[in-house]
Amino acid sequence: MIQVQELTHSFKIGKKGKERQVPVLKGLSFTINEGEVVSIVGRSGSGKSTLLHILAGFLKPDAGIIQIGNVRTSAFSEMESAKFRLDHFGFIFQNFQLMPGLTAFENVELPLKLAGVAKKDRRKKVQQLLQLVGLTEVQDHYPNELSGGQQQRVSIARALITDPPIIFADEPTGSLDSETEQDILLLIQSLNKTRGITFVIITHDDTVAETADRIYRMHDGELTEGGVHHAI
Amino acid sequence: MQFNDQIDFVRQHIKKNKLRVFMTILAATMGTAFLIVLASVGFGIHDTMRNEILDNRLVNQVEVYSSEMDQAKVEELKKREHVKAVVFRQSVSINQQTELDGFIGSHNMTVTEFQEEAKVGFALQEGRLPENKHEVVVGSHFAESLIESETEGAEAEPSTYKQSLIGKQFTYKMGLYEEKELFPEETTLTIVGIAKEPAKDWVMDTNIYADAAIMPELNRIFTGHVEDMDSQLFYGNVNVYADNLENVTAVSKALKDEGYSVYSIADQLEQLDVFFLAFKAGLVFVGTIAILIASIGIFNTMTMAVTERTREIGVMKAIGASPKLIQRLFLMESAWIGIVGTIIAVVISYGVSFIANLVLPIIVSTALGEEEFTSLDITFSIIPWQLVVIASAISITVAMISGWRPARKATKIDVIQALRQEL
Ligand SMILES: Nc1ncnc2c1ncn2[C@@H]1O[C@H](COP(=O)(O)OP(=O)(O)O)[C@@H](O)[C@H]1O
Ligand SMILES: [Mg+2]
Repeated sequence: MIQVQELTHSFKIGKKGKERQVPVLKGLSFTINEGEVVSIVGRSGSGKSTLLHILAGFLKPDAGIIQIGNVRTSAFSEMESAKFRLDHFGFIFQNFQLMPGLTAFENVELPLKLAGVAKKDRRKKVQQLLQLVGLTEVQDHYPNELSGGQQQRVSIARALITDPPIIFADEPTGSLDSETEQDILLLIQSLNKTRGITFVIITHDDTVAETADRIYRMHDGELTEGGVHHAI
Repeated sequence: MQFNDQIDFVRQHIKKNKLRVFMTILAATMGTAFLIVLASVGFGIHDTMRNEILDNRLVNQVEVYSSEMDQAKVEELKKREHVKAVVFRQSVSINQQTELDGFIGSHNMTVTEFQEEAKVGFALQEGRLPENKHEVVVGSHFAESLIESETEGAEAEPSTYKQSLIGKQFTYKMGLYEEKELFPEETTLTIVGIAKEPAKDWVMDTNIYADAAIMPELNRIFTGHVEDMDSQLFYGNVNVYADNLENVTAVSKALKDEGYSVYSIADQLEQLDVFFLAFKAGLVFVGTIAILIASIGIFNTMTMAVTERTREIGVMKAIGASPKLIQRLFLMESAWIGIVGTIIAVVISYGVSFIANLVLPIIVSTALGEEEFTSLDITFSIIPWQLVVIASAISITVAMISGWRPARKATKIDVIQALRQEL
């Protein structure tokens, strides 16, 4: 489903005139299959988020090819990239990234609005998903009236609303306590099983990574596939 | 995104910052209202001056002067292209006196062609047109200027003729201004019709309108008393009427080319219109400066709106909103400010204009302290729909232009940077 070849990226840092290139991704090649849960685990600052940003089209890589389905997304313009995201990707962020001015219901509804779905066709779908993530009771609450776990459920519902084949999750449980973390991870597992959605989970936490079907380990700008290294 | 959802989105944002948006709209309203009211003075004065000119004379009238005007020439003029009518009026140029049942007046004898007069609005309010040389039509104010001879010079109010004029006979005498005695010859004339009142109520029509057939008779009286061969009893003036306003210039130009002296109000109007076009454009320009000042407010408001919502815009882009959509949403917001500001401004402008037209004439007449100014017919401010259209176009365009850069800025927001912002 996702094929990456020789992906490299570096950041320019330092003052103007004295910039230097800091390589972050050093020629990554890997594959993610349809319907699997893959985790990318690594130390903070190892380049995991950068990789996700490039896969999602937020950032243009220096070099490399990304193919999703049979579309070469690395060749997209900004416009095409946005359209592709709307149709194919869902996102779950560490700090939820909900719209503060919108209720839980409206936050979940937003991608459908962007996709141009008519109002009457939106309502039912949003309600179904809110029920699925167990938020029917609080659908009219604003994000600041919800707990962290509830907010993350809203953002999961928002990620699901357009039925995307792939969901990217960047530290989805990074801001949650361990009990809530388990709930969210179980929810991801069940969504993967029932809906066949491909999940790419980014985490620095081995216990989170272990819940995935497959694990990629990010180290020093390189990616290696491997099992869980329990105690190093 | 569907259009009504876009509207919804914009409305929600505006609601969140009511006060700031309100102040921005206020500035836009003031700028636009200033433009409209300022320019409306130009329209008002222009209109007043046009009316001033048009009230006195007919627009499609061309006055034609020629040293040797006669009936043959008039007939020739009638045949010209785009000429609706040619009125050849000849008036007695010496002292005249009329007497009816002991009432005396001084009315001017005018000889004209009634068919031609009828084509350009001459009509009777009573009676009929003359059928022989001793029948006449009199002006609508004829009776009012007939004064009872006994009361003349006495302290009592002079009383004027009150009875019906139709069918009445009166005597008509002529004389020289420099001589005390009038010529002894009397002509007896019968009133068969009364002309309609002139359109303008301050114009008094006291003329006696007769057919040209009477001219030889009056000329005979005149030559019996005046030896000088050069002096004439009748002086004529010819007015040519074009069939419509557009052809006035063509008709008057053709006559000018043939050596006639011509004067038409249309020429004067054209100059006036050109002058006022420039004048109004100047006022609109000055007003536009006010709108431009207001646009700084719109620019600031929109820039702040974009900055405040950086994270939200980032999220929108992350989940798939296209940069085009983001730009459109912000342009709609600044357009909304412009549109609402303009609508309020138009309403206010009509109010201000109405009050100005009501109050200013009173202030002016009190300040001048003269009663006659109360009847002064000045419109200070007029707002035609064209002005509303021009002002709206300027105001909304300026609002959208000033919202353009902030909207561009919104599209350029970097998703990663925006998502990294703290809540
Ligand atoms: N915009 C940027 N400019 C310069 N350096 C950056 C930028 N974004 C990330 N980096 C650097 O790239 C490296 C990888 O960052 P990131 O992908 O966020 O790591 P992770 O998500 O694994 O913690 C870090 O060293 C970080 O400092
Ligand atoms: Mg990260």
